[in-house]
Amino acid sequence: MRIPLIIRHIGGILLFTSLFLFIALIFSLIDRDGTSLIFLYCTILCLIFGLFPMIFVPTSTLAINIREGIAIVVAGWFVVCLFGSLPYLLWGGEFSLVNAWFESVSGYTTTGSSILNDVEGLPRSLLFWRSSTHWIGGLGVILFTLIILPGKDSSKFVLVSTELSEIARQNFRESSKRTLHILFFVYLCLTLAETILLKVCGMSLFDAVNHAFATIATGGFSTRNLSISHFNSIRIETVIMLFMVLSGINFGLLFGTVTLQNRNIFTSSIVRWFILVLFTGIMLVTASLYASGYGSLWHSLRYASFQVLSLGTTTGFATTDTGNWPVFTQLILIYFTLQCACIGSTSGGLKFDRIIIFFKSLNKQLRLIRHPKAAVVCKLENRPVSEQLENQTLVFTVLYLLIILISTLALTVMDVDLMTSFSGVTATIGNVGPGFGEVSSLSNYSGLPAGAKILLSLDMLIGRLEIFNILIFFSLKNF
Amino acid sequence: MKIKLKLFLGFFTLVLMLALAGAYSIIEFTRISTSVNAILEDNYQSIQATKDMLEAIEREDSGILLLLMGNFREGRHTISLSDSIFRRSLDIARNNLTEENEQQYVTNIESYYTRYRSIIEYPIVNTSRQGNIEWYETEVYPLFQDLKKAIHTLMDLNQTSMYREAMMLKEKSKRAIMPGIVAIGAGIVFTLIFNIFINYYLVSPIKRLVRSIRNYKRGTVFGADIETNDELKELENSIRDLTSKI
Repeated sequence: MRIPLIIRHIGGILLFTSLFLFIALIFSLIDRDGTSLIFLYCTILCLIFGLFPMIFVPTSTLAINIREGIAIVVAGWFVVCLFGSLPYLLWGGEFSLVNAWFESVSGYTTTGSSILNDVEGLPRSLLFWRSSTHWIGGLGVILFTLIILPGKDSSKFVLVSTELSEIARQNFRESSKRTLHILFFVYLCLTLAETILLKVCGMSLFDAVNHAFATIATGGFSTRNLSISHFNSIRIETVIMLFMVLSGINFGLLFGTVTLQNRNIFTSSIVRWFILVLFTGIMLVTASLYASGYGSLWHSLRYASFQVLSLGTTTGFATTDTGNWPVFTQLILIYFTLQCACIGSTSGGLKFDRIIIFFKSLNKQLRLIRHPKAAVVCKLENRPVSEQLENQTLVFTVLYLLIILISTLALTVMDVDLMTSFSGVTATIGNVGPGFGEVSSLSNYSGLPAGAKILLSLDMLIGRLEIFNILIFFSLKNF
Repeated sequence: MKIKLKLFLGFFTLVLMLALAGAYSIIEFTRISTSVNAILEDNYQSIQATKDMLEAIEREDSGILLLLMGNFREGRHTISLSDSIFRRSLDIARNNLTEENEQQYVTNIESYYTRYRSIIEYPIVNTSRQGNIEWYETEVYPLFQDLKKAIHTLMDLNQTSMYREAMMLKEKSKRAIMPGIVAIGAGIVFTLIFNIFINYYLVSPIKRLVRSIRNYKRGTVFGADIETNDELKELENSIRDLTSKI
């Protein structure tokens, strides 16, 4: 393992981060909100740590292997979250050391869980930085860096392979370089389109940009204390719902749809199932709310559809406090928190494709029990799924649930109630954001003990980086 | 890049980080000093003035009671002394307007005091007012209470502002410390990274060169695989040239 090489690549990520810190610095200079020094200091620190390795590490040795790739991806995420927490830490206020780390990890992993009681009390530059972490993290810190900064194609291939899961890569069928460009193109177009639509619907440009960043990254940080309910606008909610669903679908398929390719969102069975499950969820929650006397049918449908789509796509915006909803609806929403959105999108967590593979694999096993000599192949999108991928998916699912169980247990030891613990862990590992109990949609994570916040931030990283990468990283022997 | 420049850049960066943190902290401490001044000069002076005003009108009230009891000389002396203290304190408050609406509060006090003074300007001793408690309770005392209330309002305004400033001061002191902590952390990490680089790109190549020369003496071909394009690479090339000529 060539540590200097890993440091150089992570330096590249920090250089990219400094670009967004610089934009936030410009915001603070325009607003004169007292954060200019903070952003200047952070930008310079990022530049120092980004540029210095480039002086020492010769370019001739930049090709990396898989193990180094994993180390770059995992360590890169940790480092970028650490640097991302500096503006919060230097600002102070509600940001203690642990809170700043939690907010930064939540931003980069696009979880959207916050420790802030008064979001509107933050200056615009810091709010922009907060949303930027979503936008950078949505596409992936490493992928973004690979798009912007020059590097060797072989290294890019290794890093793309590490950052994108195997199932996601199958939907692109392109070279690593082209895959990166497709991802970036779709990401940028969706962000621009949503910003324009939200502005047209009556949001200020600043709010529109920030909410577009948070929606397309399936993050959930809002610039308002009451999240989307602040605007109380059906038009804004409709636009956000549309883009939440689009951001929850594989970007390769979105690109295929726009460029009229055969593989598009209309031909994809996964997208069909995903939409069907979301639709069923909306219907069930609407019926449950209506039956419990929540309001008129239209009123129930309005809030049910937003919350189901918000949690089902792992965004985490809120138009109402779901903590007061009937237990049945809460359980359905927890299911969506577990399920997450499609692979190849900006969402994290278990992901819907794995659930499809899980059920197809279950069906295969049942058929094999009935016909032991039959040649049964598990297929996804009309393509056979390899035994290895099938096994990986099953192991991943079990590990995912096991981590949820262990984290929930650990939180209850810290005197956090069961509902808050379970829903909080599920929401953070799934990169969703809001849970139930103390951490419901219009509440926040500020009331949890510091240990719980650290554990949940680790869950966020596990959910974003996928469990195997983290496991391989911590089992690397050649450090 | 030459080794000398690399080393210089490493140490320069460390110094730069320390200088940055130092400059940041100095700016924050200057802000703290401004806040301390704001608390002391703006709010504390006003609070002290309102306290003096309260004490003065309390004494003035005692003076009126002395007059009611027929003690003319002591009563008038107390009132006159308190009046000068009150006016001096009011001047301080008037010249130290730092909060929003503070001017309004000071004007209110002035207006109440003028009315209060207008009542006690007329003789009390040896008139129908002497010993007339009812006159005191219906005309003097309510005005005295209103005046006290107006002074208290001004005091509250400045106390609230002082508390807010003190809270901000606490926040600013935290902010002033934080860059130092970040700089220490960053400095430690940077030193570790610098150490890794020196070890990997300076110390290790030298060791490889020494090993290669030893191996060459045993008959193997010289080669140290120096990756960097600096003096060590030049040294490797020179030794290779030398060994090829032997």
